[in-house]
Amino acid sequence: MIEFTSHSTEETEQFAQRFAAQLKPGDIIACVGGMGMGKTAFARGLAQGLGLGDDVSSPTFALVHEYTQGSLPLYHFDMYRVNSFDELYSTGFFDYLELGGVLLIEWSENISGALPPNTITLTIQRVDNHTRHITIEGERF
Amino acid sequence: MKLLSIDTSSQSASCAISEDGKLLGEFFTNVNLTHSQTILPMVHDLLEHTRTTLSQMDGFAVTTGPGSFTGLRIGLSAVKGMAHALGKPCVGVSTLETMAYHFQGQRCLVAPVLDARCAQVYTALFRWEGNTITRLAEDQAIPIQQLGESLKNVKETVFLVGDGADLCYNSLNEQLPCLALAPSFLRYTRASVLAAAAQTAFSLGNTVSAQDLIPAYLRLPQAQRELLAKQK
Repeated sequence: MIEFTSHSTEETEQFAQRFAAQLKPGDIIACVGGMGMGKTAFARGLAQGLGLGDDVSSPTFALVHEYTQGSLPLYHFDMYRVNSFDELYSTGFFDYLELGGVLLIEWSENISGALPPNTITLTIQRVDNHTRHITIEGERF
Repeated sequence: MKLLSIDTSSQSASCAISEDGKLLGEFFTNVNLTHSQTILPMVHDLLEHTRTTLSQMDGFAVTTGPGSFTGLRIGLSAVKGMAHALGKPCVGVSTLETMAYHFQGQRCLVAPVLDARCAQVYTALFRWEGNTITRLAEDQAIPIQQLGESLKNVKETVFLVGDGADLCYNSLNEQLPCLALAPSFLRYTRASVLAAAAQTAFSLGNTVSAQDLIPAYLRLPQAQRELLAKQK
């Protein structure tokens, strides 16, 4: 388990950037944590760490954003609006599992039953206005 | 008549050109699911190597599902585009029925199985008696254990084909000694086999226009365990 206390959006981003170095093709990161926790900051750091630039925004409307310009692509999902297995199927989620990139899934609570067993869990908890407690759990962490 | 067949319905992608039942060429890859980037270059190369042109095709065949959501849309869009532009007829064949055609000419039962994730499969059941195929079960999406239940009274060998064959064999072979795995070279959907399956429909004139070709997504059951644990 990896634990980190972040005191700002920038620190969250830098932490994610360093964490990206440990990722492998096929890794799935399931985020747990509500709105305003810094999930997009984490995603931006991850994209930078993977050499994919920093033009990262929340995929709430598009359901998935693809960042494929590096050696290890990042597929950033937001499952907030996904309410059934059929809806999950029609996001193409199961197809993305085969692509050999890294999947970062926001609102993974909504699809917890469909996550593969080797999924990495990222929990971001609010300590105060600026401070966040970040926990990463998974077989390799 | 010349036929271009395309399959991108699951993990593998392939295209084939056949003429009056004879296979002229086939291009098959099984690397990952980037079918949108690979299938049309594959068609292009296949036309070149078989010394044929797209306008020489008299019809198009495509697997219409069940299968990967993205994959089905890629295959159908590609075929719709070409067939519409050229004004040629199309035949859509079930992905599962296509896989059953690997066993044409045999005397056996075939259960095609595609992995639908979360311990579920897309499956059906067919009987081959020589060149006659009989469908014994409709295409359906069911939990693997339900497939086991449905086959428990079968006394003869049932061949499993499809990308879920290993998965089903490993989960069910202890309770179902009748199961047999198709060899790995017969395990995946092949456009050449699709061509064979579509041939009959073409010769009988059972074709549709490009705009009437539709994907057959199958509704996945909310499995016995809760798939989506809502905690909003």
